[in-house]
Amino acid sequence: MTKPHRSRILAAFLVLLSYSVTPATGQDMMGLLVTATSSETEPFELSLEALDALDQVEFTTTTIWTDGETRFSGVPLKALLAHLGTVGSIVEMVALNDYAVTMPIAELEDEAPIVATRMNGETMSVRDKGPYWVVFPYDNDPKYSTETNYSRSIWQLNRLKVMD
Amino acid sequence: MVTSIWGSHMKTGLNGYRVAILAGFGLLVLLLGLMTTNLLSQLRDLSTAAGDNTQWSISQLDTEFANLNATLSDQLAKGDLSDEEVQLRIDIALSRLDIINSGRVRGVFGESKEAKTLITPLNAFADAAIAISDKPGPLTSSALRELRGIVQEVRPNVRKIALLGVSLEAEQSQQRRTVFAQQLARTGGIAIALLVLMGGLMLLLDRLLRRAARRDAELLTSSKLLTSTVAASLDAIVTADDSGKIVGFNASAEDVFGWAREEIIGLTMEDTFIPHRMRDAHHNGMNRYLKTGTPRVVDGGRVELAALRKSGEEFPVELNITSIEYDEGTKFIAYIRDISERKINEQKLIDARDRAERTDKAKSQFLTVMSHEMRTPLNGILGVLDLLKTTQLTPKQERYAQIATASSEILLEHTNEALDITRIETGTLQLTPQNFDLPELVRSLVDVLEPLAREKQLGLTLKIEEQVRMGFYADSNRVRQILTNLIGNAIKFTEDGRIGLKVSGIHGPVVSSVTFAVTDTGAGIALEHQEQVFEDFVALAHGEGRQTRGDGLGLSISRKIARQMGGDINLMSEVGTGSTFTLTVPMQRREEVPQADARVTDTRTEDRKSLTLLVVEDNNINRKVLGDMLEGMGHTVVEAVDGEDCLKKADSMPFDIIFMDISMPVMDGIEATRTLRADDGPNAQTHIIGLTAHGREEYREEAEQAGMDRFHTKPIRLDALYSIIAEVSALVHAPLGAAAPSDALRELSQALGQDKVSEIGERFFGELDIFFAQVRQGEFKDDTPALAEASHKVKGAAALLGQHDLEGPLADLERSARAGDLSALASRIEALEGIAKSTRAGFTDILANSAK
Repeated sequence: MTKPHRSRILAAFLVLLSYSVTPATGQDMMGLLVTATSSETEPFELSLEALDALDQVEFTTTTIWTDGETRFSGVPLKALLAHLGTVGSIVEMVALNDYAVTMPIAELEDEAPIVATRMNGETMSVRDKGPYWVVFPYDNDPKYSTETNYSRSIWQLNRLKVMD
Repeated sequence: MVTSIWGSHMKTGLNGYRVAILAGFGLLVLLLGLMTTNLLSQLRDLSTAAGDNTQWSISQLDTEFANLNATLSDQLAKGDLSDEEVQLRIDIALSRLDIINSGRVRGVFGESKEAKTLITPLNAFADAAIAISDKPGPLTSSALRELRGIVQEVRPNVRKIALLGVSLEAEQSQQRRTVFAQQLARTGGIAIALLVLMGGLMLLLDRLLRRAARRDAELLTSSKLLTSTVAASLDAIVTADDSGKIVGFNASAEDVFGWAREEIIGLTMEDTFIPHRMRDAHHNGMNRYLKTGTPRVVDGGRVELAALRKSGEEFPVELNITSIEYDEGTKFIAYIRDISERKINEQKLIDARDRAERTDKAKSQFLTVMSHEMRTPLNGILGVLDLLKTTQLTPKQERYAQIATASSEILLEHTNEALDITRIETGTLQLTPQNFDLPELVRSLVDVLEPLAREKQLGLTLKIEEQVRMGFYADSNRVRQILTNLIGNAIKFTEDGRIGLKVSGIHGPVVSSVTFAVTDTGAGIALEHQEQVFEDFVALAHGEGRQTRGDGLGLSISRKIARQMGGDINLMSEVGTGSTFTLTVPMQRREEVPQADARVTDTRTEDRKSLTLLVVEDNNINRKVLGDMLEGMGHTVVEAVDGEDCLKKADSMPFDIIFMDISMPVMDGIEATRTLRADDGPNAQTHIIGLTAHGREEYREEAEQAGMDRFHTKPIRLDALYSIIAEVSALVHAPLGAAAPSDALRELSQALGQDKVSEIGERFFGELDIFFAQVRQGEFKDDTPALAEASHKVKGAAALLGQHDLEGPLADLERSARAGDLSALASRIEALEGIAKSTRAGFTDILANSAK
């Protein structure tokens, strides 16, 4: 399905970027493992620092799982995938307990959802839905308050898979 | 005016509609807003609350506890897991617990007591789990076992929580559905209401539109109609605004005024077609109207005025101006008709009529004068002939005298007819009704005409029906004239056979209709000629008799006179069989007539007492003839040539009778009579008989006013003189003013004795006084029938006592009372009292005289 020529270029590009991405040999609890089925490269594990190094988006919103308004900050999923240069049409998001949900990449917006690294300025522990939580700015637009988006609001996220 | 009312009505109607429409739209917008808000909130609820994944979150709690339990069991059994892995499972389970205690999931459990009792042990587990997990150093099997014990202990709780969550969630979503259904129903209701409202508005709009369209069409039609009416009008129609500026000018106006529409529009009426001499008046009139609104010409109907043509000539117009009030001012519409032609024609007609009237008047005048001029010499001829017959004549002479008399009589008849014609034509024919005895009248008539019939060997029969053998009150002279004409004609046109006169009648309530049928056995008249015979100057055939005459006026005059009397003459005829002319005349019965003045006393044989008479006449022959006639009757005659002479002669001695010609030079008879009556001379009370050659009506009133007692038309014949003298001489010796009552009273006193009559008289006058007093006190004020009854009673007594002066007014009073007319009652009673006073004074005198 994928074109070998294009894959090579991507591989080369990923090598260039590798200084900031450590290959996922033994996954750290706070790391985010990103794999792309189309590429032959090894999956990448992004640390909190690596994520913090990317452009941050912050918003305050209520959620159906928390009380009151909560401030979230983190990296937009779209920007993250773009940063990694993964190629695919669907991204599968998987939680620590193996809860998984997919989302068409085309539906990703510039600033929603984000892979939140911090809640009210604090990193999140597993007990507190950490390490990462995919959230939408639910209050900004009613379109985010849909069942689909609630199901995509995956917490305890630690893996991303980009698929065709 | 009508349109403006209608317009304002329309306006308020429209405003009403507009308010209704605006209110409708307001309501619509409001409802729409409500509905939108409702729907939006519903939508939000649907897309969020109803669609969240709380159930999943709750069920996951059970899963994670199961996972933790499994992990702990595996670890205890095999011991091949890292602490990290175990701790991750603990953390995950704890994070699930946190989900239950916050956010929407907590909302699902809400205040449910069952949930609380289930969740509280879980929180204890959390504390224990955290204590075990966070204890420094590696996890010991005992800690793990302890933890597994707690986990297994709370697992049923977790399970129950998950199930409760499901059921509560289901309940809540059921509730939400119900609310949603309700809201949907409400929204649906609003939608239906909106639809209905919109439908109503659309119907209203449709109605308004249709009405507007219809009105438009009507307006268009009427405006088209109006335009064509104005354009096609035969009258000039000019429209002007309140400054007098012309804004409309139709085709007829162009014709009438000579101005083209284009050139006159915008100019003022004042500067164009109003004549110079009237411009000031027009200007002031317009200003006054605009200021005060009081119209004179405007809205005042048709007026005739003058207008000016463009060429400068003035012409008469008929004008009708109306005004219309607009919002922006007043408009005047003038309908103008050029009546110059009509005026010219009118003038022509007036001239023609005046000419005709002048001619006619001249003709009448001529006929009247001629009649008079002919009558004067006839007076002489007939008088002399009458005198001649009183002398010794040979049979031959007597025959000649007879012929001359008859010819003169015909001539007299002709002049009379000529006079009648003029009178009928000028409308001055007057009827002189008097009392007469009908049988006597027709009998004397037949007596007179019988010789004529006998001359032609014709029989003349008379039949008077029983019911009309009585006295009537009508113009008997005219009846006689008509009958003479009808019988005369019958004799004239009948060669053999007989003539019949049949008198019959029908008595109506007041008036009787008396019919005189004159039947002959003559040639008859064809149907187509039957109406013709009544026309002027038509004579169908010339008779052969002595009476032949050709003017054909007789029947025409007769019918005209009959019609004036309220009757008519009709003809029924069959050629070869004969004709019947029927005269029908309404006549008042004699008993209806209140006063009986003409007492016909028979003549000639009366006492031939010699009287002293004065004959005043300017015509020498006539004076001589009359004088001779009177002297022949044995009276002493003094002659006077005019009024002045009369006064002179009357001054020196008293006369029994004065014969006074009316028309005389120097001083006429009227003037002389007036002077005589006014002066307290010896002849102030003398009986004066007026004589005139004119018709009897012309001077009658004047003569009576002057104080003449009688009035006679010339020529006065010997027979007439006899009866006049006889009548007058009966009166002249009786005391003044008591001539009439004396007879009745005298008879009464002879029958009853003077004392008895005197007593009755006293009682009568006493009753009369009571009657007057009753009326004065107002006893009959509201009871007219009683007044009529009382009047009738007193009247009867007055008649019995011969008090005719009282009887008349009392009868009048009775009639008025019966008619309910009580006007001037007081003054009438006063007058009656005056009469009563004088008659009462005379009563005793008469009684005393009659006893002698």
